[in-house]
Amino acid sequence: MTQPLLHVEDAVKRFGGRTALDGAHCSVATGSITGMIGPNGSGKSTLFNCIAGAEALDSGAVYLRGARIDRLAPHAICERGVARTFQLTRLFRDMTVLENLVAVAHTFSDRQAVERAIHAMELLEIPELMHRPAGDLSYGQRKLVEIGRTLMLEPKLMLLDEPFAGINPRLQNRIVGYLQKLRGEGMTLFIIDHEMRIILDVCDSVWVLAEGRIVMNGPPQAVRSDPRVIEAYF
Amino acid sequence: MKTLLELLLNGILLGGVYALMACGLNLIFGVMRVINFAHGEFLTIGALATYSLCVTFKLPFWMALLVVPAVMAVLGYAMQVTLIARVINAPMIMSLLLTYALSTVLVNIGLYIYGGGFKGIPGLLTGSVQVMGVGLSEARLVAFGVALGVSLAVFAFLKKSLFGKAIRAVSQEPEIASISGISVERVRNATFALGAAMAGLAGVLIAPIYAADPQMGSRFLIKVFAVVVIGGMGSYGGAIAGALLLGVVEVLGGYAFGQMAGSAVVYLVMIAVLLVRPRGLFGVGVRA
Amino acid sequence: MKFRLALAAFAALAAAVVLFGNDYALTFTIQLFVFVVLAYAWNIIGGYTGYSHFGQMSFFGIGAYVGVLLMLHLKWHWLGAALAAGGAGLALAVPLGWIMLRLKGPFFAISLFGLTRVFEAVSFEWDALTGGGTGLYLPPINDQRMLYLALALLCLGMLMLTYWIDNSRFGLQLQAIRDDEGAAEALGIRTTRLKVTAFSLSAVPAAACGALFAAHLAFIDPPTAFAPVMEVTTIAMVLLGGLGTILGPAIGAVTFAVLNELLWSRFPDLYYGLVGLVVIACVLFMPRGIVSLLVRSRLIAPGRGAFRRIAARSGRAP
Repeated sequence: MTQPLLHVEDAVKRFGGRTALDGAHCSVATGSITGMIGPNGSGKSTLFNCIAGAEALDSGAVYLRGARIDRLAPHAICERGVARTFQLTRLFRDMTVLENLVAVAHTFSDRQAVERAIHAMELLEIPELMHRPAGDLSYGQRKLVEIGRTLMLEPKLMLLDEPFAGINPRLQNRIVGYLQKLRGEGMTLFIIDHEMRIILDVCDSVWVLAEGRIVMNGPPQAVRSDPRVIEAYF
Repeated sequence: MKTLLELLLNGILLGGVYALMACGLNLIFGVMRVINFAHGEFLTIGALATYSLCVTFKLPFWMALLVVPAVMAVLGYAMQVTLIARVINAPMIMSLLLTYALSTVLVNIGLYIYGGGFKGIPGLLTGSVQVMGVGLSEARLVAFGVALGVSLAVFAFLKKSLFGKAIRAVSQEPEIASISGISVERVRNATFALGAAMAGLAGVLIAPIYAADPQMGSRFLIKVFAVVVIGGMGSYGGAIAGALLLGVVEVLGGYAFGQMAGSAVVYLVMIAVLLVRPRGLFGVGVRA
Repeated sequence: MKFRLALAAFAALAAAVVLFGNDYALTFTIQLFVFVVLAYAWNIIGGYTGYSHFGQMSFFGIGAYVGVLLMLHLKWHWLGAALAAGGAGLALAVPLGWIMLRLKGPFFAISLFGLTRVFEAVSFEWDALTGGGTGLYLPPINDQRMLYLALALLCLGMLMLTYWIDNSRFGLQLQAIRDDEGAAEALGIRTTRLKVTAFSLSAVPAAACGALFAAHLAFIDPPTAFAPVMEVTTIAMVLLGGLGTILGPAIGAVTFAVLNELLWSRFPDLYYGLVGLVVIACVLFMPRGIVSLLVRSRLIAPGRGAFRRIAARSGRAP
């Protein structure tokens, strides 16, 4: 078996008396679209925060291509090729869409950064939003800009925190198309969402999280028919 | 040994007044996310008003204890409604600048009325009491007793009463509080009035200990700020613990390195705490 | 284009004061320049980065004392003393920023406010070095035109620095920190390094300016060095002009300085209180600043033009 791109081992995270992650594990194969589903409060977002370095694990480890990253600062994890979106979008609201994208590009010249931003906006079919202030955008548009912002970092692994939540089905389908295109270009994607239908449609491998633990893992068709998943959800 | 005990006791006594100030500041911050730079001037007003009542009008001290906080509550309420309420949802710099400017205005009014000199109140609570072989001044004991008593009473009141629940609801989840029928505006107004009254009371209590002057507010406020940062912003218990701790640090520091250096030592302690725990000892997270 | 026009206008005005102005005009303009420098310096950390800095007078005051001590005891020229004061500002800003900038909004504000008061108390107390409350006196500089020129150049430098920040990714990243520091950090922006840099960029000119101001007065004492009213005035100037804008600090400083001069000459007793009232009025009625009015009425272009221009040149812009 080849080494996974991302591997999480025995992740434990407590907040006061509440245990959000209770020994969760998962791995993401290079070049895959991997999904994680689970009911509300199952610990999905906490797991993402721990992978991205926004929260520190109480115990356990996160490996990126076999190297531990769980003690690194968020920006250092980002520099190693992991970029994320946020569940409730967190754009830089006083800046335009173009500036939001350019601000995070730190390895190019200004000209290259702008060109890369235009490229990302074209890929996401939003070049007309270029000079709009981020604070004025609709929720769906903000979701797209968040994906565009992570593209600026040319990540090896993109962490998508509920990219399909709260937007209309047409936009959901558009995003699915973009994600598949990105995977075709060699990017690895790790998506958490509770839109089970889309996750099962788009992912190669799905992890099911409930109460801070992994209940099962497998290809979508196996998840669909697994009684443990139904139990976790209902 | 006796000196050390004396210093410790005096430090704790001083801490009581800081606690009263810090609790009011913390309440206001909790409910509105506003730092009140004019909080020190509320104390100044309390102390100068006590001087006027007790020296100019020759009224007994207990009258000041009752009247001044009540007047401060009204004054605080008026400031809240006319000024502070208008910047609560603005960027933080607005409320900081507003209260800072308000403090400048109040100091200037104080200087205009009272002049720059120190205003002591002769012959008030001048006795001393022997505690464990240490002489403690009556004024300090009264200040400590009333200050800590009121701080704890307010604390208990907030824990038990409906108003306290409303305050906590507004501090933690203003949107949800307003959906569940709490008038966020009224809670904010009342909290600011309460905070102002507590600072005014602190002013009354220190009037017999230190001579008052219009510029005393900022000298006290910086220590109260340090208390709040060390104890943790938004934490009521942290504010009381931090106040007592800082009172001791200041008195010991002042004894070892001189009076002015005492407040510098307080700040060094604060920086040391911040290096280890950026949210303070008992602080809750604060998003800017 | 407009920016160059503004530079030319500034140079012409500055020259006019030296050539045609009297002593009063010179003194007024020197003090105005001090405020312009302070306002630009504050704008970098307070306007662009969004950190409510209430401790700028720490740097101003320490710069003033460093400068005066060098001029007094080592007989340094004021220019060298001001450069050394800037260096002292940097030496203080880096460690202090590294500690303090971990604090968010209100914590940061009150910690630095308190620290300034501590510096003031120490300078009162340490009279062997600072002369305590009496202060330190220098032989006055009779011809202040060179001092004036130095301050004018410093203003110009701050304006150009701000123009660069406004049009660079460094500036965008500072504004990303202002808008959402956590998101910026998660997206690979090195927030700590940037914040300390911004803090230092604002501390160095403030400290140098303190030394120049002390040389201008030929005197320094604790209330002058660490004046709270200068702190609040500086911040209010930036707010009145426009937070995080290129021209805001200058516009705010000029407006405020003229107003200050009128208040000071007519109501010396109530001066500080009236300044406070003006600040309150700025907060309540002009929170978005004069620059935003000018932008809305299309008198000046909105900021951060560089990326828009690059995008337009790339030929793929809509």
